[in-house]
Amino acid sequence: MQKFTFLVCLLFLTLCCTNDDSSEGYAPTPASISIPGVFLQLLPAPEIPANNPLTEEGIALGRQLFFEKKLSANNTLACAGCHKPNEGFSDQRRYSIGIDGIAGFRNSMPIVNFAWNTKNKFNWDGSANSLEQQALEPVINEIEMHNTWPNVVETLQTDANYPIAFGEAFGTTTISKERVAKALAQFIRTLVSGDSKFDKYVLGEATLTPLEAEGLAVFLDEDRGDCFHCHGSPTNPLWTDNDFHNNGLDEDFLDLGLGDITGDPAQFGLFKSPSLRNLAFTAPYMHDGRFATLDEVINHYSEGLVFSQTIDPLMKTVAQGGVQLTVEEKAALKAFMLSLSDPTLATNPAYQNPN
Amino acid sequence: MKKIALFLMAVTFIACNKNDDGQTPLNTLVDIRFQHSFDEQLVDNTTFNAIQYNNAFGSELSLTKLRYLITNVTFTNQDGIATKVRDYQLVDVTQNTGMFISGTSLPPGTYTLKMRFGFAEPENNSGIYPDLNAASWSVPDMLGGGYHYMQLEGRFIDAGNETSIYAYHTISAVQNPGPDNIREDTSIEIDLGTINIENTTTTIKVNMNISEWFKNPNVWNLNTLNGMLMGNYAAQILMQENGQNVFSLESVRSVQ
Repeated sequence: MQKFTFLVCLLFLTLCCTNDDSSEGYAPTPASISIPGVFLQLLPAPEIPANNPLTEEGIALGRQLFFEKKLSANNTLACAGCHKPNEGFSDQRRYSIGIDGIAGFRNSMPIVNFAWNTKNKFNWDGSANSLEQQALEPVINEIEMHNTWPNVVETLQTDANYPIAFGEAFGTTTISKERVAKALAQFIRTLVSGDSKFDKYVLGEATLTPLEAEGLAVFLDEDRGDCFHCHGSPTNPLWTDNDFHNNGLDEDFLDLGLGDITGDPAQFGLFKSPSLRNLAFTAPYMHDGRFATLDEVINHYSEGLVFSQTIDPLMKTVAQGGVQLTVEEKAALKAFMLSLSDPTLATNPAYQNPN
Repeated sequence: MKKIALFLMAVTFIACNKNDDGQTPLNTLVDIRFQHSFDEQLVDNTTFNAIQYNNAFGSELSLTKLRYLITNVTFTNQDGIATKVRDYQLVDVTQNTGMFISGTSLPPGTYTLKMRFGFAEPENNSGIYPDLNAASWSVPDMLGGGYHYMQLEGRFIDAGNETSIYAYHTISAVQNPGPDNIREDTSIEIDLGTINIENTTTTIKVNMNISEWFKNPNVWNLNTLNGMLMGNYAAQILMQENGQNVFSLESVRSVQ
């Protein structure tokens, strides 16, 4: 009797839910991310929020919006203006320039493989808790696109094509900032980089040079590079821990990073570990782009660390100024890190400007 | 419509909770909670970062990160029938995640509860746990491979009265780090003894006394052992010895 009651109730519950969810009667075409072999082998499935599933129409709209200059107040700047496909979806300028000619104060963060950001903290300072939230901010940032959301929505709504595209993506031609953000987030989740030489090596399809192999050894050696705790390893092909650290750049902080968002003094000067993928295309480096070359980055960790109150305990050699690599070890480390670059990212037709 | 749904959910829940006689529940829900202390002081991520603890050596220290791996969480009844409720769980005190093993359904009775700190040797293979890979929990193959057991990090006041840092990482001890390393299983069995589970929801609290890592039997001097410990075989053995009494059964509570 009890089992019967249970089943009847479940049936009613299912009907209730179904009625609520299908009220609009339109369903876009489900889509999925193209997952590289090395990710399939080593990583969990990407995290897609239930309230913004990937659809072919949503991704196509997001791609269109990503390259759309009308998101900015004077129609001159798109997301892709600071996250360029041929620059690792970053910007090779130290600071990106907004529509009023004003430079920002951080280097543009690469935005690939974000579907595997299991900690759901985005931006150098962790200021966004989801990709959907992250997509909202640059439009109204006074240094960047310097627009307003009502203005963006009105612009897109009066466009000949966008209402149709939103209708296809979301079942309604009514445009909102939330739907713009959802579409952008869908497209960004499809930006996947997993076809570097090192990926091929992991899959048994390529061989590392002796220099690259020695660089990997330096990278993984706790007594030498000790890079793996923050920047992944052959079993973490994201090449980031998606966490926040003070990596010994400054004794005093001009930019508080994560601490500026949380207000916690223990988090002053902490910034998100960027992925080491695509370093060949994403110079300059660090949150403020202070290092123009990979050599400068390696020299920092080798001899340039400085102590501060929030220094990460993983900067174990800060008292000695760094890990003290030899010239040969530095060259090897650089060669290995460059093997993590994926040239197909820039040429993938699905990531190009459709407009 | 929502009211109907809520009513039916309640009826469904009640229907699930009783056996066919409508009287005594067959199983009871058991939750395991991991809590942490530094001797008598309770620790959570809100108490991190302040240098406020004293270890057995006499060093003042703080915690900035604590995460560790619990594996093979198993209840065994008096007939010797084992119920494994978790293969592994990453307890991340820093992020306040993995602190519970919830929703275990067991018949009331008397059980022994055992778990393990870290993966035992047969399970500690590189790259086979995708969620742990993404959590950057792996150990490089040149350091023996597999996965970390624990990452405990913080700051301390060193012998020169300066603030310094430590990274107390435990892994499978390894001799001869490099391509020809020899790994030794230094995971730790945690025997929490006998537990009586009544016919009401039961919460079992397991405590990690962090102080023990620095105390018993080896008084830990952070001035000399504060980093680069993964490839330090002798240090890993000392850690394993100190880990024997880190975990204890804090309480078993039944909720009516």
